[in-house]
Amino acid sequence: MWKPEVAFAAMRCLTHPLLMRFLGLSSPCASAGLSQTKTLMLSPEQLSLRQSFSTRSGLVTATDVVKYWQKVFETNGIPEAQESSEYIVSFVLGAKTFQSLNSRILYTPLTAVQQEQIQQLSTKRLERMPVQYVLGEWDFQDLTLKMRPPVFIPRPETEDLVSLVVEEGSWKYEKNSGLLSPAAAPHPVILEIGCGSGAIALSLLCKLSQSRVIAVDKEKAAVDLTRENAQRLQLQDRIHILHHDVSSSSAKQLLPWGPVDFIVSNPPYVFHEDMVSLAPEILRYEDLDALDGGDGGMRVIKTILALAPSLLKDSGSVFLEVDPRHPEMVENWLQTYPNLLLTLCAIHKDFCGKPRFLHIQKQSR
Amino acid sequence: MRLLSRALRAAQGCRAAALPPRSYRAAPAEGSAAGPCRPQPRRPLSARPCLDELFAAPSLHRLLEERARGGAGAGPELAARIQRLRDKEQELRDTQELARQDESEDLRKLAEQEIISCQEEIADLKHQIVLLLIPSEEADNNDLVMEVTAGVGGQEAMLFTSEIFDMYQRYAAYRKWRFEILEYFPSEIGGLRHAVASIAGLEAYKYMKFEGGVHRVQRVPKTEKQGRIHTSTMTVAILPQPTEMRLKINPKDLRIDTKRASGAGGQHVNTTDSAVRIIHIPTGIVSECQQERSQIRNKEKAMQMLCAKLYNLKTEEETKKRNSVRKIQIGTKGRSEKIRTYNFPQDRITDHRISRSVHHIECFMLGEDMLDEMIQSLREYADYESLMEIISESEKINPS
Repeated sequence: MWKPEVAFAAMRCLTHPLLMRFLGLSSPCASAGLSQTKTLMLSPEQLSLRQSFSTRSGLVTATDVVKYWQKVFETNGIPEAQESSEYIVSFVLGAKTFQSLNSRILYTPLTAVQQEQIQQLSTKRLERMPVQYVLGEWDFQDLTLKMRPPVFIPRPETEDLVSLVVEEGSWKYEKNSGLLSPAAAPHPVILEIGCGSGAIALSLLCKLSQSRVIAVDKEKAAVDLTRENAQRLQLQDRIHILHHDVSSSSAKQLLPWGPVDFIVSNPPYVFHEDMVSLAPEILRYEDLDALDGGDGGMRVIKTILALAPSLLKDSGSVFLEVDPRHPEMVENWLQTYPNLLLTLCAIHKDFCGKPRFLHIQKQSR
Repeated sequence: MRLLSRALRAAQGCRAAALPPRSYRAAPAEGSAAGPCRPQPRRPLSARPCLDELFAAPSLHRLLEERARGGAGAGPELAARIQRLRDKEQELRDTQELARQDESEDLRKLAEQEIISCQEEIADLKHQIVLLLIPSEEADNNDLVMEVTAGVGGQEAMLFTSEIFDMYQRYAAYRKWRFEILEYFPSEIGGLRHAVASIAGLEAYKYMKFEGGVHRVQRVPKTEKQGRIHTSTMTVAILPQPTEMRLKINPKDLRIDTKRASGAGGQHVNTTDSAVRIIHIPTGIVSECQQERSQIRNKEKAMQMLCAKLYNLKTEEETKKRNSVRKIQIGTKGRSEKIRTYNFPQDRITDHRISRSVHHIECFMLGEDMLDEMIQSLREYADYESLMEIISESEKINPS
């Protein structure tokens, strides 16, 4: 079995050249640990090698520790071995990224406490826990948010969804207020369906200082985390957080807060048949309901679009993040339901050039 | 405004008595700093005529006549001040005449008081006119991107680069500017190979532009076993950050690379590598950022660097032409010029452009009063040079 205290004792005494020797010797045995069992095997030779080091004194710097855990992650088949190791070490040293550590901190020996923290976090990563859960926080747009399993971890694509809503939001109000009153303050009311950690809702509140957001999620864990993040960022006054399932409960519950200017959602959109191919980080730790979009990945998308007309103001908009196969499917679906009075007015690409975001508008009567 | 008046006052030692006393300037020029960290007394820059001399010179007189008539570069503000100066000078002459003729002691005293107030106002008007004559650089109010790069001297140069970078970080805090690291490449023993930071705040470029160039260090490096003094260098580049209006970039000209480019993306993957690289295809300029955990923040920072580099490329030519004869160089030409030496054995910092030396390196590198004083001196000198240039250009156009 993986014994944290053994590895810790060994790591503490490794100096740079010794570390390299150790790493060189360790790889053949460690590759045996690649088998899908979650345990990291330490062979007897390794242990003795490590014990021999422990008699010498040596100082370990951040760079040494990053290299050490990178190698451990690599030999255990952990993806993003270097990045994971760097994020964990930087986090313990009070920085966000390894690249933002200044040169002095980088070459200052780590304390025993720091090494132990790194050790504990790295052990979690060895069990394929996503780095964001390991650290218990991650950044989204300008915000640092608490992350806690199983609440869905926001992906970088979704940062662009927020920018898109902000852009469209400001544009809409500029147009409506006209040139005569450019100072007119926009007060958009936004509904977010499936708020998860609160990333989208809270970023929007930040970027649109006059906006109000209603955030709903069917999972209690998500609602709680959104609330916690809102409080930490002192945005709780402009957000209303509801534990509500749009698929099973009536939309009437949402009506007291509407009609709204925008509905924003990053709904579960992974095709059900694709779920098996997701990485262990996702399958083991994240709430799969936040990802599984059912057949064709359209289950929740359809629910949202069916609800939208009764919740939106005239000319209000829905902004959705979807799978690149969805834009066409959604367009076809909307054509079969003309009575919804919704028009797909724009498809925006993500930073990889994939069609990822849909802007759907309610026709004004 | 205050700065230049100070410069000009400093230059015109003769008038010092009539002006509010400044204790540190009144002190003897060298070696009078009270504490280890007191700014050094300012030494008036040589080769600069005093303000009255300047205004007595026919060349400036002709320039003012020209501007007052509404010639090139004249603004209503400038014309009004020139007119007011003429009026005041007339008033002064009249009062002096009266004072000489008046026999009553009381009245003469009254006239003398009036003369003093007149003189003060004239001096003030001259300062204002000089300030209006000097065009402020377009980018003065811009934010900027600072690039530091280790030069000759291996690890020692990198250690020095790290110290200089820290000095400007502290200077930004001193000036209450925002300092954000965009790129940071440390060396093995705690030095810095290369780093880029964005500095934003009130008149940031106006001050920092004088720091661009080669900085030289002379000392016994930590790595030196035999106690020999080494000379090493590092380079600072200061690039103004263009406003969006000034620099239009066609999104089609950009290629943005991320680690998520392959694969399904979106909800299907949960990766953490948020590094972003942007390539401006027409120029081949690349900028990269991995300082942040948020990918969009990395993209914004990379974009900021790219804009500064592109803007710099665009303005390089004209800057080169305009500043060709000045001692204080801003921009590309200045970047390769040795501007300052940090001599540790003598605990001395010398700015070669204005031949000014100060002591207490440790204090200087705190990035507070001493660095600020040095930058002020450079600004004053640059203003003076630019005024001389305007006068001589005007002479070329309107030969007497």
